[in-house]
Amino acid sequence: MSRSYLFVPGNNPAMLQQMDVFEADAIIIDLEDSVLDYDKDAALDLVHNFLAQLRPQHLEVFIRINAVDHPQFTQDIKRVNEWKIDGIVLPKATLYSLQLAASKTTKPIIPILETPMGILDAREMATLPRVLGFLLGGEDLTKELHIARSKEGKEILYARQHIIMVASAYQKRSIDTPFVSTKDFEGLQEEASFAKAIGFSGKAVIHPNHVPIINRIFLPSEEELQEARRILKKAKEVGSGAFSLDGKMVDKPIIEKARSIIKQYEIYTRK
Amino acid sequence: MKSFAGTYESSDCFIRVSPFDETKIQIESSVMEQFGDAILKVISNTLKQYNVQNVFIECFDKGALDYTIKSRLTTALRRGGYIE
Repeated sequence: MSRSYLFVPGNNPAMLQQMDVFEADAIIIDLEDSVLDYDKDAALDLVHNFLAQLRPQHLEVFIRINAVDHPQFTQDIKRVNEWKIDGIVLPKATLYSLQLAASKTTKPIIPILETPMGILDAREMATLPRVLGFLLGGEDLTKELHIARSKEGKEILYARQHIIMVASAYQKRSIDTPFVSTKDFEGLQEEASFAKAIGFSGKAVIHPNHVPIINRIFLPSEEELQEARRILKKAKEVGSGAFSLDGKMVDKPIIEKARSIIKQYEIYTRK
Repeated sequence: MKSFAGTYESSDCFIRVSPFDETKIQIESSVMEQFGDAILKVISNTLKQYNVQNVFIECFDKGALDYTIKSRLTTALRRGGYIE
């Protein structure tokens, strides 16, 4: 499980070499949008040798390959299958393209949901065991919907909530769309806090400077931790499935949520 | 056939490969004194690995690590049809 998923261009040695200093929980090495068509082959060679010689061990490493309808897709998936990575990030995913990609690899897959069909197909995609989670692509989705992308994000609220529901129902990760204004840290803080509040498990990142803010926001707060500890302590004392704490009913789902908060905190602070 | 790969950006290198009547390697680097031999070794070993001979390799290094030099040379060799 990760909080921050930082995109790193696959044909940029300086960025690849520095990936472990950015403190992201996960890195998505990009072979798609950030690599020009005439350099796709160069990126594959570079990433291949980088992973063979310098892959950081304490990070999750994913590869965003080119979409199934791109001429580079077959070559990408063939090479990626040789690499020691945590999974593939599949752009412009639909049920059809996911099934096609899944038939050519045994790696876990994170589909990027950035088309209306992708959003609608999410539930069926979630039934595939190798789907690790979903990443919302807000910019491309609004382009497909022929609407403007606003800072408030009302236009992608349905997509956000749909992804969260599906991911939660099928125990998958839900990764929010990246915040694209690289210097608007206040806006980033607002958007990441909102994403966490509505249920996303993490957020994609396109600028290293955004990583500390996202990691902090997706780390359980001191108040959440204290509350979780109190619930677990009382549950242990009472020994029954349901009890009252501060005049509020506490039962199994709340106890399990408290356990999950403690576990998340331990995982994130161990890194 | 002449081919090339890489960039002149920091931490990268630009490599040009041309057919030649022997194997010749030319390196330009801001860290030539400290790492010139190491760069030469990476290029020589990569050529040996692919069994490529009779090429003129020009390497313009901007502080690339070994994996980058090997990658750029591999790409340039493939683009030129020297390897598959």
